[in-house]
Amino acid sequence: MVALIVIFISGLLSLFLAFAKKPWLVLLTASAGLIAGGISLFTQFYYQYDFIHYEGLKFDGFAVAFGLIAILFTLLVVLTGYSSFKDKPQHTGDYIALLLFSLTGALCMLSFTDMFMFFLGLEILSIPIYVMAGSNKDDVRSSEASLKYFMTGAFATGVLLFGIAWIYGGTASFKLDEITAFIYNAEGTHSSLIYIGLLMILSAFLFKVGAAPFHFWSPDVYDGSPHIVTGFMAAVVKLGAFGAFMKIFSVTFAGLHDFWAPALSVLAILTMFVGNLSALKQIRFKRLLAYSSITHVGYALLTIIVQSPDSAFNLWAYIFSYGFSTIGLITVAIIIHDEEDRIEAFRGLVRRNPFTGFVAILGLLSLAGVPPLMGFFGKFLVFSEAITQYPWLVAIAIINSGIGIFYYLRMVILVLQKEDDDKPKTPRHKVPVLQMIVLAICALALLFGGNMLIF
Amino acid sequence: MILASIFESGVSIQFYIVLSTILFAIGVLGVLIRKNAIIVLMCVEIMLNAVNLLMVAFSTYFGNGDAQVFVFFIMVVAAAEATIGLSILVLLYRNNRSVDIGLFNKLKG
Repeated sequence: MVALIVIFISGLLSLFLAFAKKPWLVLLTASAGLIAGGISLFTQFYYQYDFIHYEGLKFDGFAVAFGLIAILFTLLVVLTGYSSFKDKPQHTGDYIALLLFSLTGALCMLSFTDMFMFFLGLEILSIPIYVMAGSNKDDVRSSEASLKYFMTGAFATGVLLFGIAWIYGGTASFKLDEITAFIYNAEGTHSSLIYIGLLMILSAFLFKVGAAPFHFWSPDVYDGSPHIVTGFMAAVVKLGAFGAFMKIFSVTFAGLHDFWAPALSVLAILTMFVGNLSALKQIRFKRLLAYSSITHVGYALLTIIVQSPDSAFNLWAYIFSYGFSTIGLITVAIIIHDEEDRIEAFRGLVRRNPFTGFVAILGLLSLAGVPPLMGFFGKFLVFSEAITQYPWLVAIAIINSGIGIFYYLRMVILVLQKEDDDKPKTPRHKVPVLQMIVLAICALALLFGGNMLIF
Repeated sequence: MILASIFESGVSIQFYIVLSTILFAIGVLGVLIRKNAIIVLMCVEIMLNAVNLLMVAFSTYFGNGDAQVFVFFIMVVAAAEATIGLSILVLLYRNNRSVDIGLFNKLKG
């Protein structure tokens, strides 16, 4: 609770400090707020103190573990985006503040105990991102991405609320523990209201995480939004949505597992294939990243389908590894700064900027799931947990990882290749210090984070 | 007199469920079919109002006020969403001179 307030106030402060026209002041406030928020989140959990008691939010181990990586990813995104934010000094505060407000929504979505806070958290998470997606006001594509995200998001919210209303009709409560108890007590004799509500909430969640067949908005939105927003959506928004997905489906609706698990496993398979097969022919980098994120959603859905006490940790590890690779790659794309965002612009990167190219290769290989890197351990944990209950699902997921390796390795080869001799050589890219730091953190995490996950 | 007796006896919960489902379906169909972005926005509002009606009906039926508070939250959020949606539309209108959603096709593939 303290962490929420600290982050929200640092967001407000950075909004007002922007009037001083000193972007570094805003950055300093936001980073200090994020670090203080992270520390207070951890100490509150560790020492079990509670200044402000509100029963709608409960920061248990789950919320703190997911919340800390959400804060870390936001910090990385803010640091890496600073170089583009400070080009418009009058708006630096707005951008950073909106990211922080969205983070408070993500924290609400990780710690809610009733449907009120879940709904509010979802909206606090989404609404700033609708604005951020259109923040590049001169670009028609950015505005269009914003409209598409807004329309699908608002529609999904409507469906979600209708589902919550049906669940309320079936159980007469919004509190998650009362709904859980109701479902367990009335085994097999539920009214149809609960089933309708559950399916509506499920489809709204699939909208939010971008799983097939509700994925169609995500390539367009990822493609049109500014790079930073794409990175934030892929890392933090997905984390918040998945955290809430796990809380509601693996815990609250666990009693109805036989009802929703078959549907979700079919959708997970569909998601993997749609993401992978569409990614094969992409020529724009952010679009490739969007389809790759759809595929990764498919893998991550396995943790929700499988009922086991380790599922939460596996999901955490998976999102942790995925977020680092995406943020690293987005940073590289910002450094390359290609107007049309072509994959071709990555050609010869390792010869121009060895370290940037190295991080790009690490990120791609980690997404592909190559052993010493963190992405492999994330995948390993998810698949090894699922294989006892759903061997066929894991088999299909492994086939899909194989397909995925094709387009990741194609990009790795591009990064390693020499540039064509007949074309003018691309000059060496300038890398600002902050982005260098982000790249170094991502490289360290990708190289050594995997071993930490296993212990 | 007949009207008054209906109000006194109370309408049973099934009618509310059916009415709000019909309203919700109208909203969904509007979002899927209509081309004008502002009308799509209005259809989303219809969906949210269908939810409000259902929540209030259930709340009265169960005799607890939780859902009535929830409805206020939904109204507030719907207002915030409408604000954002309209400002995005103004942004797009400036570029396109139209709010026909068929024209927003720069992103595809």
